Amino acid sequence: MADATPAVEICGLVKDFKTSFRRQMLRAVAGVSIRIEPGEVYGLIGPNGSGKSTTMKALLGLVAPTAGTCAIFGQDSLRVDSRREVGFLPENPYFYKHLSGAETLRFYGRLCGMRGPVLADRVSELLALVDLESARDRRLGGYSKGMLQRIGLAQALVQDPRLLILDEPTAGVDPIGSRQIRDLIFKLRERGITVFLCSHLLEQVQEVCDHVGIIFQGKMVKEGRLEDLIAIEDQTEIVLRDASPELVAQITALVANSPEAALVRTGKPRTTLERLFLRETLRDDP
Amino acid sequence: MSPTPVSPARSNRGSHCGRISVIATHAFTQLVRMKVFYFLAVFAVIVIGSNFFDLPQHVGPEAAGTNVLNSIKSWSIGTMSLFSVVFAIVATALLLPKDVEDRTLYTILAKPVPRIDYLAGKLLGVLLLVFVSLALMDVLMTVVLQIRTSMILSGQMEMAHSRGWPAAEIASLRADILRQGPNASLQGAVWAVFLRASIMASLALLISTFSTSTLFTSITSFLIYFIGYFQADARDIFLESGTAGTGWVARTVSLFVSLVLPDFHLFNVIDAVIQGQAMPLIRLWELTGIGLFYAVFYVLASWFIFAEKEF
Repeated sequence: MADATPAVEICGLVKDFKTSFRRQMLRAVAGVSIRIEPGEVYGLIGPNGSGKSTTMKALLGLVAPTAGTCAIFGQDSLRVDSRREVGFLPENPYFYKHLSGAETLRFYGRLCGMRGPVLADRVSELLALVDLESARDRRLGGYSKGMLQRIGLAQALVQDPRLLILDEPTAGVDPIGSRQIRDLIFKLRERGITVFLCSHLLEQVQEVCDHVGIIFQGKMVKEGRLEDLIAIEDQTEIVLRDASPELVAQITALVANSPEAALVRTGKPRTTLERLFLRETLRDDP
Repeated sequence: MSPTPVSPARSNRGSHCGRISVIATHAFTQLVRMKVFYFLAVFAVIVIGSNFFDLPQHVGPEAAGTNVLNSIKSWSIGTMSLFSVVFAIVATALLLPKDVEDRTLYTILAKPVPRIDYLAGKLLGVLLLVFVSLALMDVLMTVVLQIRTSMILSGQMEMAHSRGWPAAEIASLRADILRQGPNASLQGAVWAVFLRASIMASLALLISTFSTSTLFTSITSFLIYFIGYFQADARDIFLESGTAGTGWVARTVSLFVSLVLPDFHLFNVIDAVIQGQAMPLIRLWELTGIGLFYAVFYVLASWFIFAEKEF
């Protein structure tokens, strides 16, 4: 029987912050509810200051909800034990610069109670996963932004969590590093790890997420399966390869003869700037 | 469907002691890699330099050379006191805000790490470094003092024998010189220096849980350190307030100071040891008890604030 406990369950989350002056309350999150099933990749999107990071911090117990509850695999997220199942990568992470990549992973692994050969194997496995084996003994002070993000992702995965929370995982990373992180998320999804990410890079969210929530001014304004949310119900797309102009003319005529259907547009589909960049910079890539 | 097998990486829950030792070891490494031990070179120069502070004296030939031993002890213990208190305050005041600013604290608290483990680990890391530094300085001081004591002792014994002093006076002279050399009381004084630094580190930890900057934490800690030397006066005002007719403000402040701050006057025993007096064992136990009490008290108070803190 499938496990009915959701990976994440946020019910009516409200978070107020006191402003410095006049002690006025600022409502950062206003009644947000999110349910993420195990194995899903959920993207929370919204503009800066919309309450994404506060929602994530409440889920991690870094801030206490003013009202509502947050649970991870059924455990109240204010309990320390709930974090046994969670890996977290904050936005723009800065790890201890005096540690090397391997030392960083060992430090976080030991915090999770790992020791000896299990930890040593895990460190090697994760460095291979994030493609940082060659930099394992280099201090983080010499890492690039993309490498820091990847070591951050590795530390989040060190105790083999069932839930991964990523706050702007590709912020400030170049397109190659960004794609590596995106590919890692795909790998994690294949392994059945639940991913909860927030970003304002909409194209990336669209590529990796199954479910999406749009948060604005602290409120959830739209939520659902990505396919359902972005499909234009009254339109149909046909993409042809090597179609002759005659064939296109025939199809156009056929549509013109239809009493209900109307041709919206024809033309050549365009690649994205990111794909073009990657094709030109990584020529050995398929 | 069969239950999901528990990954070996997830199977171990870890213990409080394990996590505290990981954080303490890391804080120690972090501080060592800030090249703190370079200070030991400065200390070595001070200890060796203190050998040459042979000031003119107006004492008899039986006391010749002992002022150099006093000078070595005075400079060494003085430097140890300064280093340990400054380092305990500044390092503790630096570590916590740095983790918040760099957001490394998020990644630590997002792991199954109780906040008390984090605080205790950071404090122990600082104390471990202060302890190791003091131990190394102590070894250096003891070696220099031992060599110098042996030199003075042989010179004085030669002088006493050549002048035909009676055996009892020679033995007394020998005892006087050895009292100024390295002994158990001197090690007790170094331990007292460590205890005073531990109290200050714990206090700095408490302040840094609600302070917004390293500078504020450091300055406030140093102020409290100096106020601690008036703790005994505050206690006297409180105890005598009934007869002296002191106002309620003075009574409240004196009660607060006498309860919350340790009486640093008790640590003046360090100066007495430098002058060659013995430190009673009971005083050492008393200082250890006070150090432990205030360190635990301040850590628990820090936890009380830090547990509610939002990031």
